[in-house]
Amino acid sequence: MQTTYPRTRRWTRAEYDRLIDKGVFQPDERLELLAGHLVVREPQGDPHTLAIELANEALRTAFGPEWRVRVQLPIALDDESEPEPDVSVAPGPLREDSEAKPSRLVLVVEIAQSSLTLDREYKASLYARARVPEYWILNLGDRVLEVYREPHPDASAPHGWAYRSRQDLAAGEHVTPLAAPTARIAVAELLP
Amino acid sequence: MSESAVRTRRWTRVEYDKLIETGFLGPGDKIELLGGQLCVSEPQNNPHATAISLGLEAIRHALAPGWHVRVQLPIALDDESEPEPDLAVVSGGPRDYADHPSRPALVVEVADSSLALDREHKGSLYARARLPEYWIVNLVDRVLEVHRESGPDAGAPYGWAYRVVLTLGPDEHVTPLAAPSARLLVADFLP
Repeated sequence: MQTTYPRTRRWTRAEYDRLIDKGVFQPDERLELLAGHLVVREPQGDPHTLAIELANEALRTAFGPEWRVRVQLPIALDDESEPEPDVSVAPGPLREDSEAKPSRLVLVVEIAQSSLTLDREYKASLYARARVPEYWILNLGDRVLEVYREPHPDASAPHGWAYRSRQDLAAGEHVTPLAAPTARIAVAELLP
Repeated sequence: MSESAVRTRRWTRVEYDKLIETGFLGPGDKIELLGGQLCVSEPQNNPHATAISLGLEAIRHALAPGWHVRVQLPIALDDESEPEPDLAVVSGGPRDYADHPSRPALVVEVADSSLALDREHKGSLYARARLPEYWIVNLVDRVLEVHRESGPDAGAPYGWAYRVVLTLGPDEHVTPLAAPSARLLVADFLP
C-alpha cells in the first residue's frame, strides 16, 4: 500500500536563524535547513572526518589566501536553505566585516558514505538551483570523486534543477576547480 | 526521490507548545503536530465545514450528560502528537481541563481530499494512542467509516492500526461506544 505523507511546514532561512538565536534547538543537534525542511544530519564515521580534513588541506593549498575555505559551516544558499556542507569555498579574503554566512559559493564539497542518495539527488538539485557552479561528492564507498558542473533547469529533479555534467574521477586522476584554474589536485590526496 | 526520504527533525509536544507560545507558530499557521512532524492542514471547503456542523449536532444529541464535544481543538495525544480532530468527544465539561484533553472517547475527521491521509496516517496515530473509536465522515463515497479495536500492525505508518472498520451507508445507523443507547443515522452526518 502506498503511504501518503502529510505536507510538513516549511521554514524560511530567516525563521531558522531566529529559532537558533532563541535556543529552540538542543545544543548537540546537527541540523541543516534544506528547501524549508529541518533535515537531521547523520553521525559521521572516522573516514568521513578524515576526508573532511584532507579536502580542507588540499583546497586551501589550491585556492590560496584570497579565498575562504570553510568546514561544516552554514551558508546562506537561498531563502529557504541553510546547509552546512562538509567543505565550501567562497570569495575572500576573510576579514572582520566578511559575511558570516556567504551566499556566493564557487565550490561545495560533500563527503558521502551513507548519505550518497541524499547528496546526489536532493542536495545536488538544491545546489544547482542556487547556481553553485561546481559541486563535488567525494564518494568514499566507490573511492571516486564525482565532479558536477553546469547547473540547468530539470523538471524531474527534486528542486527543479540539476547539473548537466558529471565526471567521475578515480584515485589516479587529477581535478582542477573551475575557480582555481592553475591548481591540480590529485584525487588520491582527498581519499582517506 | 520523495521528500519523505529525507529524515527531518521531529518535535516533541512540549517543544511544539513552546513554538506557539513564543510566536513562531501563529494563528495563520494551520498546523497539527503528528508523530513529531509539523503537518500543514489543507484548507476546508464548504461541504467539509457543513459536515463538521452536522456531526456536532448529531453527536451532541446522542450524548448523556458528563460528556462534551470539542471542535477542531488540540488533543494532547502523545509526547510527539497534538492533532486537532474535526470533532472529539471527551468526558466532563470544558472547565474540567487546564491542559488539552488526552483521551477522547471518540474522534471524528471529515475527509474529502485528505481521505488517504486520514485513513492511514491519522488512523495509525490514533490507534497507537489506543483511542477506542475513530470515525471518518467520508465525503468522497458518502459513507461513515467506523474504526475500532486498535492493535499493533508493522505495516502501518506508526506501527498500529484499527482492526475493525465498518463502512456504513446513509441509511444505516451507528452507536458510539461511549453512548451505548444512542442510534445515529449516517445520513445526518452527510451534507
